[in-house]
Amino acid sequence: MLQYVIKRILVTIPVLIGVTFIIFTMMYFTPGDPARLILGDTATEEEVTELREEMGLNDPFLKRYVNYLKDLSRGDLGESYTTGLPVTDEIKARLPVTFRLAVLSCLFAIIIGIPVGIISAVRQYSWLDNITMLAALMGITIPSFWLALMLVLVFSVRLGLLPASGLYGPIYYVMPVISISAVSVATITRMTRSSMLEVIRQDYIRTARAKGQTEIKIIFKHALKNALIPIITVIGIQFASGLSGAVVNEQVFALPGIGKMMVDAIKARNYPVVQGGVLVIAIMFSVLNLVIDLAYAFVDPRIKTQYSRKKEKKGSETVRSEG
Amino acid sequence: MEQKKKKHSQLREIWRRLKKNRLAVFGLCVLILLVFLAVFADVIAPYGYDEQNYAETLQFPSWKHWMGTDNFGRDILSRVIYGTRISLQIGFISLTGGALVGCILGAVAGFFGGAVDTVIMRFTDILMSIPRTVLAIAIATTLGPGLTNAMIAVAISSVPNFARVVRASTLTVKDQEFVEAARSIGASNARIIFRYIFPNVMAPIIVQATLGVGTAIILAASLSFLGLGIQPPTPEWGAMLSAARTYMRDYWYMVTFPGLAIMLTVLALNLFGDGLRDALDPKLKK
Amino acid sequence: MMKKNEQNEPLLSVRDLTIHYITDDGVVRAVNGISFDLNHGETMGLVGETGAGKTTAALGLMQLVPDPPGKIVSGSVKFAGKELIGLGKLRMRLFRGKEMSMIFQDPMTALNPVITVGEQVAEVIRIHNKVSVKEAVKQAAEMLETVGISSERMGDYPHQFSGGMKQRVVIAIALACNPHLIIADEPTTALDVTIQAQVLELMNRLQEKYNTAMLLITHDLGVVAEICDKVAIMYAGQIVESGSLEDIYEDTRHPYTKGLFGSLPRLSSKLHRLSPIYGLMPDPTDLPKGCSFAPRCPNRCKACEERMPENHEVSPGHFVRCVLYDADRQ
Repeated sequence: MLQYVIKRILVTIPVLIGVTFIIFTMMYFTPGDPARLILGDTATEEEVTELREEMGLNDPFLKRYVNYLKDLSRGDLGESYTTGLPVTDEIKARLPVTFRLAVLSCLFAIIIGIPVGIISAVRQYSWLDNITMLAALMGITIPSFWLALMLVLVFSVRLGLLPASGLYGPIYYVMPVISISAVSVATITRMTRSSMLEVIRQDYIRTARAKGQTEIKIIFKHALKNALIPIITVIGIQFASGLSGAVVNEQVFALPGIGKMMVDAIKARNYPVVQGGVLVIAIMFSVLNLVIDLAYAFVDPRIKTQYSRKKEKKGSETVRSEG
Repeated sequence: MEQKKKKHSQLREIWRRLKKNRLAVFGLCVLILLVFLAVFADVIAPYGYDEQNYAETLQFPSWKHWMGTDNFGRDILSRVIYGTRISLQIGFISLTGGALVGCILGAVAGFFGGAVDTVIMRFTDILMSIPRTVLAIAIATTLGPGLTNAMIAVAISSVPNFARVVRASTLTVKDQEFVEAARSIGASNARIIFRYIFPNVMAPIIVQATLGVGTAIILAASLSFLGLGIQPPTPEWGAMLSAARTYMRDYWYMVTFPGLAIMLTVLALNLFGDGLRDALDPKLKK
Repeated sequence: MMKKNEQNEPLLSVRDLTIHYITDDGVVRAVNGISFDLNHGETMGLVGETGAGKTTAALGLMQLVPDPPGKIVSGSVKFAGKELIGLGKLRMRLFRGKEMSMIFQDPMTALNPVITVGEQVAEVIRIHNKVSVKEAVKQAAEMLETVGISSERMGDYPHQFSGGMKQRVVIAIALACNPHLIIADEPTTALDVTIQAQVLELMNRLQEKYNTAMLLITHDLGVVAEICDKVAIMYAGQIVESGSLEDIYEDTRHPYTKGLFGSLPRLSSKLHRLSPIYGLMPDPTDLPKGCSFAPRCPNRCKACEERMPENHEVSPGHFVRCVLYDADRQ
């Protein structure tokens, strides 16, 4: 098991280095001279040249990338062009908001999606199932930012029940989380349903019935644990969708997260901030994928044993003389 | 000749199965209607998409303007109709581009294996470790705003998915006997990939593509909504929503209809895509 | 606990059991009025080709026919004098695994892949006996040892066992609560020949040890000859011939049964050719009006196609469903 964890972590590291390379390359080719951006239009050509030299902007691409990596390893993501403050500080202030939005959305999707999916599967083709599937279809087709606008329209503008923007307490999370997680709720519900339907048809469920096990326990003990395996993969993808949703919807609800920070930075051509934002999101996602893969091994014993050779040897099948 | 006939009857069988699925047929009908709107937007739309009328700004929906008018007095219905053209264009072109690149990368990776495979797959791993919207935002930032750039951003962000699907399918097809047979009669690698592998991995690609168009449309709309994609006055639905936000407190219709249009389009694509998947692979259906 | 009934009442008494699958493409008449009795400690072989309705019949006895599309249309299943049909889910549950249990055809899929084998055996004990978890685990360990699996392996998962070992686990589950009846649905079909013999031998010994009755579903007449007391031959959802082992093997009456024996290669016989039964079993959605075997029967006559043959008792306990034994024909 430990071997598996280590192996999985080792795979993540080169991927993350690759991510830094891609992000760096993209920003490298982004038009606009950083030195000019920092100094503004009023600065003279000499001042700009001087700053370029100072920032190492005239160095060759690879050297700049290596320098970037060096800074990165010290936790230095550069300085904001507009404020001159370290990007790391900016991200530290913004990260909790985005992280909370993504995690809450993901949790919300799991809490709603899995039970509803189970009920839908158990009562396949009932009116409840039909309504659920219709709602789920709506969920995956609604653009999250539009759902956000509609929620604001109804609950803030019309009914005045919920705050439309800002972040001053738990209630401010309600509409953002609903609109970000709509897609995830729908996807997890659909996945749970189809996965459960698949599992319920398996022979081992019949075995459980033949034992005289109750239907409730058959569903929760025998079926769900098997059905969870594909659902876990989907949950990983949903976290990504939660992050994406947060990035877009922070704009709608004016939430001070990474997404709003990035979009504002793009408009101000404040590229170090954009670069840092993308990197932080990629790291969050990669770490979560790592956790998901480990969760797999936890739920599916077949993966666990792949990596524990010791047991395999002991398992040389000894047929004992019985009686 | 014989083969052509067989292919024909296969298509007919798929069509027969598809026809039985009422939701898929509904999706297809809506799609056809949308394509029709897109193609004949100039004829159908009651006003031009950029026809400003300062005498009729911010009008609520009426018989004259079914979806009302915006702050420049432009007819929202007309803009939504023209928007169909833009969104379908983005959806189909960016997806075709992404699919093409992804398929070739996937087929090459699966077919040749070894170092080529490792390099390509690590590359897709890297791209996939950035959530898709964020990746598209980053690409759009590098390229700058605009229709073409938005399409490129959406296309690139769809490449890894296709590469993965095609690679997996290629791996299963690669070692089958008809491929060995083709190789034994001296067919070139390129010929084997295009002539033998692609036709046999078509089904998952088509399904992925149909469902992907919807995602691409939403993604492009999100970019435009954030101001990173298509810029006004182009009547792109996401951009329209972005512009309408300022007025939503008093003029609900401005943020309602473009969003409904996105939803309807994506819904139709999803219904059709789901139906197509079931029709192409009856095994998947119970 | 059921001693009082043991004198003359059979343990299992099935009458006219009829099970249909209602599908979009029509009604599949899988089991069409089968009747038989099984006494305590007795082993009965239920023999037939694939698709004859053996498994459906077995699931019917356990009331595990998947519904939808399956439906027990009519008939009665009496277990120790108690009617099981229409018993209700909750009451039926108390019989399954406790009074009657089932061994399935494919041990590869019959065990839950994410639960340890020890837990899977202990589970059935916990369901039916009011014992502590610890006690259930202890009993499960004993049961696994009984079927020849070291109790050290209780914490292992099914994928760590071979097919034969998995079937031993399935047998352990079936026997864990000491049931009066075991229904074994082709328990060895999925196993290697050498393992088959081991598993059969194990089942036979355990059955004798606990005096359990067994309904053995198989298409292997050799296996039947080895361990069964009674035999019922099934064709297209009906029992066409039934009787004691001697009745069937020494005094074969039904043309289908004869055909089955004719399809077996025999070393003792000088004949070089097998005599196979030609044709295929009729489509269960569209059974012929008369005898279902008539289209393939070498002895068919007009009457066969016109009416369903009656069940004749040709000698005490030996029943044949064939027109050949109609009184008016003799």
